[in-house]
Amino acid sequence: MSDLVLSQPAPLAIPRCNSKTGLRIVQTVCIFIIALVMISPLFMLLIASLKDDRFRILADMGSFRAFWVSDPTLSNYREIANFSGELAYGRYLFNSLVILVVTVVSGLIINSMAGFVLAWGSLRGKAILLAVVVALYVIPQESIIMPLVVMMSRAGLTDTFAVQILPWVASPLYVFLFYQFFAQLPKELYEAAEMDGASAFRIYRSIYMPLSLPALATVSILMGIESWNQYLWPTLVTQTDYARPISVAIATFFGQDSIYWDRAMAASVLMMIPVLILYLAFQRWFVSSFVGSAVKG
Amino acid sequence: MTTQLGNRLLCALFASSALLCTAGFVEAKSVIHVMHQGDPGWVKAYGDVAKRFEEANPDIDVEMIYAPHDAYNEKFSAAVMAKQLPDVMELDAPFLANYVWSGYLQPIKPLVDADVLDDMTGSNIAQGTYPIDKDLYAIGLTDSSVVLYGNKKYLEAIGARIPKSVDDAWTREEFEGYLEKLSKLEGVKWPIDTFRGYGIKTEWITYAYGPLLESAGCDLIDRKAWKASGTLDSEACVKALTMMQTWVKNGWVVPTSSGTNQFYAEGQPAALAMGGHWFYAEAAAAMKDNIVVMPLPKIGDKGVSPNGTWIWGISASSENPEAAGKFLSFLLKDKDYRDYAKTQSAYPGLKSFAAESPLYAEGGPLAVAFEQASKTAVARPPHPAYPTITSAFMQAVDKIFNGGDAQEALTAAAKKIDQDIEDNAGYPPFDEQQ
Repeated sequence: MSDLVLSQPAPLAIPRCNSKTGLRIVQTVCIFIIALVMISPLFMLLIASLKDDRFRILADMGSFRAFWVSDPTLSNYREIANFSGELAYGRYLFNSLVILVVTVVSGLIINSMAGFVLAWGSLRGKAILLAVVVALYVIPQESIIMPLVVMMSRAGLTDTFAVQILPWVASPLYVFLFYQFFAQLPKELYEAAEMDGASAFRIYRSIYMPLSLPALATVSILMGIESWNQYLWPTLVTQTDYARPISVAIATFFGQDSIYWDRAMAASVLMMIPVLILYLAFQRWFVSSFVGSAVKG
Repeated sequence: MTTQLGNRLLCALFASSALLCTAGFVEAKSVIHVMHQGDPGWVKAYGDVAKRFEEANPDIDVEMIYAPHDAYNEKFSAAVMAKQLPDVMELDAPFLANYVWSGYLQPIKPLVDADVLDDMTGSNIAQGTYPIDKDLYAIGLTDSSVVLYGNKKYLEAIGARIPKSVDDAWTREEFEGYLEKLSKLEGVKWPIDTFRGYGIKTEWITYAYGPLLESAGCDLIDRKAWKASGTLDSEACVKALTMMQTWVKNGWVVPTSSGTNQFYAEGQPAALAMGGHWFYAEAAAAMKDNIVVMPLPKIGDKGVSPNGTWIWGISASSENPEAAGKFLSFLLKDKDYRDYAKTQSAYPGLKSFAAESPLYAEGGPLAVAFEQASKTAVARPPHPAYPTITSAFMQAVDKIFNGGDAQEALTAAAKKIDQDIEDNAGYPPFDEQQ
């Protein structure tokens, strides 16, 4: 009987240890597979951009050859790196960058100010205003796009950089994000500064803004990606290459009769780089913002 | 010091005068806006023509407005709403009736050179004419057609008859028999590519599949009563679409996900391709002598083929219609533009361009396509409700190809079309024609 009792823990302990290691292996394999699935389209895009035959790219797409290039060439990049003419992709890339930077910078200022006022401002009907802001977020952009086109055209803004920036600078989502972030900060901060005689703007600029780096990073990335990926809006309001962004320019490769995969892939790689840089630059605060909003003290 | 200030003021005066003069000079120039679609080759070709036109006409500036093909209609709607229609615009021929009915276009005859108008082929005149007032509203260098391309090697392997002219096109029995044989032939992954990869955002389904259905005795709408119910959901249409659904179910048709060049991709996995004339240049370059061009099969008693393409019109709101007409005349005569069109195996819409295109002359590799224009071409319904007709039809076909019930999908499409016509009081004066 006692033998039986003593011998019991041993067989139990060994499988527990095995199952832990096994679980870890399974987890690692799963993560590896998921990572592979996530990265493979990007890798395929990069490889395809180095092939100079669009039919070869298409033929390779259904097989593992899509991930291999035997004779890499930069000819696709050379072809699209123009700064003038109808196919001035360099110019379009520059246009997109200008739109991105101005939208994000002005968006950060305006949305954070609105969020700050909603969180700490002493105005009547704040709760209703906040409810309206949140409600605005659920309206799809596409449903208001045509009235917006008419408004912008009446304002004489068609085919300008302004028409691609102004409508998207203030966004209910980002106002709400800032509101939430500012509202979480201790009330004592505001009161102490107020007692020291600081104005509301001074408190916003010198105290709350420096503390809100994670929120700024999150909004920068989300806003940057949103601005960068705009397609329908610039299609409707831009006319010439003066302010046309890269997303619309890439559409020239997708004609009615054929698709120029080689150049489309190279242009897509170029289009990807600025948002990747934006993400890498703000990644640390971006992650901490999510962690911060998930863990409450 | 005073002299220095005086000099500066004088300089400023001269500079501002010069600026004013320049501004005045710029204002004296007419500007025409030209909206178009197209892939990089065509975009460049149009841009180059605009530059040459500006050199030849220093008093006119041309501003090219590119609208992506897939978003062309959205861009057009936005331009209409914003009252910013361009002076010259490219438009898909079957949409012409709707644009004229809506008052967006003006008759083009008084604005374009007479020699260009005299040069138009019959089908080109037909695609640019509004059926109610019989006036010409648009013109183009080209027209279009769809043919059946075949892989000679595979066709010989199954002992298929190769038709030489429209009159001896394959019958339905022959066509389906060959599809079945090809499906069992080694090396053939799909017997036919019907270019499902073009998707439902383009006009492809209505343009290319419509004629097959018409050949089977079906139509998108009754072209006299202008009612879709009883026609689009008739037994003939249900049978015809069920037939095409069976081809898909049997795995005979290249799926949407496999792109649009399976006919000449490596290994040539598709044996046949129901493709536009524009497909020839790329396919022939890849397949050399292994390509054969045949007329579209006769599914019923008669052969039917499509026509109509992107043509140029002048908007009714244009402030410079004469300059716009001058630009169009220049474009259609431009040698380099024509040369580029030839490299794309463009289907002739002008007699002089046909004479320059050996591809379409008798004995030419695309002669059958040109023969179809005079013998079997049937235009898409020239009705102002066409945008609704095509959209409802394409959605129904897409649903059917994805396994939906043919009768159900076609009845829903017919109802949608009739509702649109009813909502617009029959689109007068079309209703008076009933």
